[in-house]
Amino acid sequence: MSEFIRDDRNHYGGLSSLLRIDAKIFISIILVTILGLLTIYSSSSGDISLVIKQLTRIIIGIITMIFIAQVHPDNLRLFAPFLYFFTFILLVIVLFFGVGNTADRWLDLYFIRFQPSELMKIFVPLMVAWYYSNKPLPPKLSYIFIASLIVVVPVLMIMKQPDLGTALLIGMSGAIAILLAGISLKFFFGSSISILLLAPVLWMNMHDYQKQRVLTFFDPESDPMGAGYHLLQSKIALGSGGFFGKGFFNGTQSKLGFVPEHSTDFIFSAFGEEFGFLGVLLLMSLYLFIALRGLSISVRATDNFGRILSGTLSLTLFLYVIVNVGMVIGFLPVVGAPLPFMSYGGTSMVTLFATVGIIMSVKSHQRILRK
Amino acid sequence: MKTKAREDNIRKRNKIEEKYSWDRMNDAEGERKSHRIRALIASLIVLSIFFVYVLKLYEVQVSDFEYYATKSESNRIRVRPIQALRGNIFDRNGVIIAKNVSTFDLIIKREKISNHQDFLEDVDNFFSDGRIDSKDIKDQLRNRKLKEITLIDDISLEEYSLISVDKHLLPEIELRSKAKREYLYPVSTSHILGYLGKVSDSDIYSDVVKVQEGMTEIGKLGIERFYQNILSGQPGFEKLETDALGEIIRTVETKEPKRGDDIFLTIDIKLQEYVYNLMRNKEGSVVIMNPKNGDILTLVSAPGYDINLFTKSISSKNYNQLLNDVRKPMINRALNGQYPPGSTLKPFIGLIALEEGIINSDKFVSCSGEYILNNHKRPFKCWKKDGHGAADLSYALTQSCDVFFYRISELTGIDTISEKLYKYGFGQKTYIDLYNESTGLVPDRNWKYKIKQQSWYPGETLNVGIGQGYFLATPLQLTLATASLATAGKTFIPHLLLKYRDSKTGNLTEYKYNENEFLTSYENLDFLDIVHHAMWRVTNERGVGTAAQLKKINNIEIAGKTGTAQVYSLDAGKSDIKKLQDHALFISYAPFEEPEIVVTVIVEHGGGGSSTAAPIARDAIEFYMNSKKEVISKSE
Repeated sequence: MSEFIRDDRNHYGGLSSLLRIDAKIFISIILVTILGLLTIYSSSSGDISLVIKQLTRIIIGIITMIFIAQVHPDNLRLFAPFLYFFTFILLVIVLFFGVGNTADRWLDLYFIRFQPSELMKIFVPLMVAWYYSNKPLPPKLSYIFIASLIVVVPVLMIMKQPDLGTALLIGMSGAIAILLAGISLKFFFGSSISILLLAPVLWMNMHDYQKQRVLTFFDPESDPMGAGYHLLQSKIALGSGGFFGKGFFNGTQSKLGFVPEHSTDFIFSAFGEEFGFLGVLLLMSLYLFIALRGLSISVRATDNFGRILSGTLSLTLFLYVIVNVGMVIGFLPVVGAPLPFMSYGGTSMVTLFATVGIIMSVKSHQRILRK
Repeated sequence: MKTKAREDNIRKRNKIEEKYSWDRMNDAEGERKSHRIRALIASLIVLSIFFVYVLKLYEVQVSDFEYYATKSESNRIRVRPIQALRGNIFDRNGVIIAKNVSTFDLIIKREKISNHQDFLEDVDNFFSDGRIDSKDIKDQLRNRKLKEITLIDDISLEEYSLISVDKHLLPEIELRSKAKREYLYPVSTSHILGYLGKVSDSDIYSDVVKVQEGMTEIGKLGIERFYQNILSGQPGFEKLETDALGEIIRTVETKEPKRGDDIFLTIDIKLQEYVYNLMRNKEGSVVIMNPKNGDILTLVSAPGYDINLFTKSISSKNYNQLLNDVRKPMINRALNGQYPPGSTLKPFIGLIALEEGIINSDKFVSCSGEYILNNHKRPFKCWKKDGHGAADLSYALTQSCDVFFYRISELTGIDTISEKLYKYGFGQKTYIDLYNESTGLVPDRNWKYKIKQQSWYPGETLNVGIGQGYFLATPLQLTLATASLATAGKTFIPHLLLKYRDSKTGNLTEYKYNENEFLTSYENLDFLDIVHHAMWRVTNERGVGTAAQLKKINNIEIAGKTGTAQVYSLDAGKSDIKKLQDHALFISYAPFEEPEIVVTVIVEHGGGGSSTAAPIARDAIEFYMNSKKEVISKSE
């Protein structure tokens, strides 16, 4: 034990070190949020109140991030089971008392409305990392099975809400955590095939609108005014941006209402319309940088918990980008998934900053081996 | 013991440490390395996904840019035509006879109708007075192309204010302003001006009118049709930006329409109105033309009909009423009325005989009241039972002696007569600037064989000689033929266009007279003088001329020829007494010395030419001379 000392701030120096945040990731995220604010301002035809609302969320998010970055990963590990099961209970409550327009995702606590499923985006990887933290790696088969249960049970509950998008995202982030912890390729492919075999069962249990979305995914232009409308219009917005974009505030597709959800799930189209391929390239590079930087932090982490946690969360962030952009460009079916740090919305903004806060905490609390 | 206990203790601690240690050192290095490899693989996967995505984004945004840009543009831009204001129509003196007035349509936008059935019920309740044709609205609803449902055409603001009292019951109704054609002399000019109608398929494929993008109305008949391309102007358009719901956000681009050019007709509207009123209760036609340039001053076909009815998208009831009217107001008798000209053909038959050398001015034919043709049982009768005695051409024309013309046409023969009659314009279109003109009919042997599979009978030649039988002419053809007499052959294509004024520059384009001049050759002007003199005698030689009873007009003299065409044979078997009466005809020109106008009058079943037709011509000439005097005195 004596070989390790706790690295307390003074190793790096400067404000970012003082706040225990990673300046590179933080600046990248701020750039992304600025692009998001510009897009929201433009596609709402200059509604400054939306921008102020979103800005408030960003500030709350930043505060949350800084706060979490101060929490030592050991403490996160200590509280992980408690946080996981607490949220799990919230999910049960949502199933019975949830509110929402099309799906019961929201929990109304009178002073705040939020989606417990959003919390699970963090707590599932956290729980998996906790579970593996005191197991020798690579894990035994039985460990993998238990880890899978940690992932699958909340996923099934969220599916039931029904919120297929979030459920899939959480399922995949859990899978990333398990993979990152170490798993033999043989086993990985074996389970992939069994999931494919399970797909028909999943299909039977899907809601009609979910089925419709999957169906139009394969041929969106067959039904341009119906279910494929979102996709086609968002693609038109994106494509008509061209190389340089139509210019800030000059987008028409999103502003005139052809792109639905132009500030939330389809904000990428609205952004691509005005800022063009150049803007899109910049944005994607920022996301790429955040993910790679997060992975490098995970490599430098000194214990399995930190490695699995920061690695998983970094990859999950990028996964969200892939899912959202993939939906816009027609690679993936339309599922309700926000674009990290861009999309208008409260819960996701705060949870995403919290996610980054955890990564930063892992980074700033590394234990350095004394020579 | 101590050692054992200590060892136990250490083992226990190790177990606990193994279980709870956060910093197990066993294989920590291996786990770190293993994670590094996994993180590296993950980074490679992230990078490759990044490149695949960027490539796809490049394809969508750069490679397929044109495709999506076009789609985006057509998404938001709607093009709405702006109708060009139609050119006005003036008479030769600048009196306006057709103009545009703004009216309103009562409409409802389609997107505001959610349920057709409920909407129809609402409309029925709202317009309980039955002025709405719910079947028509159903048809409009079915036509998905229509963005607006028109409830009432041409509503005035006063009417709207009455309706809008109850607007809360049907709040979706709106007024849409539009220009409407208004004719100021709708009945007397009906056959000249024609009317407008909605663009139809036949218009689109028509060679004579150019249907432009966005045009909704087009001239269907008359001047409105013939000069459609001048009157219509050029429709403009508005490029409108609309949102996903079709609501208009702003106007992106506007191309103003070019107003149609104003047209000035050769018609003298005062004379036209005056003459129409003379003809109001008759069926027939009056054409007044300036023989020296082909200007049509008056073109009356009676009865007329109210062309303003057509601008208000005429109801089928009104239309059928017009079509089934026994007086047939929809037929333009001046162009399409084909009449046997009766004795008004005699001057031309006489001229042909003179030119052919069949007769000369001294040739006399004895008239005993009838003419016997070889191998013909029934004698051909002169209108005067007792006969005219010996008559030369001048006297025969003045008295309209039939026997004289039986004789000379028999001598001339049908082949020569029909051939020479074409010279005066009979049997062919005059090419006036109106469509669908009739050709009349100059019969000959070939024609008869083709139509009736019969050879030509000599008796039929005699009938043609007095303007009866198969020969048919339109009032316009008679006018043109008379003009060639009046001007000794120098004639012009009859026309209604005087000039038109470019709406932009104000430049006037005059009718091109020199291109429309043509000559009728008269071999011997002395022959023409004989005819002229005879036609003078008709109206001036008291006791001899068939129209000499006409009241004289101050200072000027008229030359003319009466005609009475028997029609009973055409309408045989019909019980209507009026139909059995003869057509009354009169051709004339005035002043005799220096002809300025040619007047042709035809009154169907009007009785005698001298008693019915000639007085109308005389009054028209007097009116013309008086109004000319007024113009002169005014300008002085």
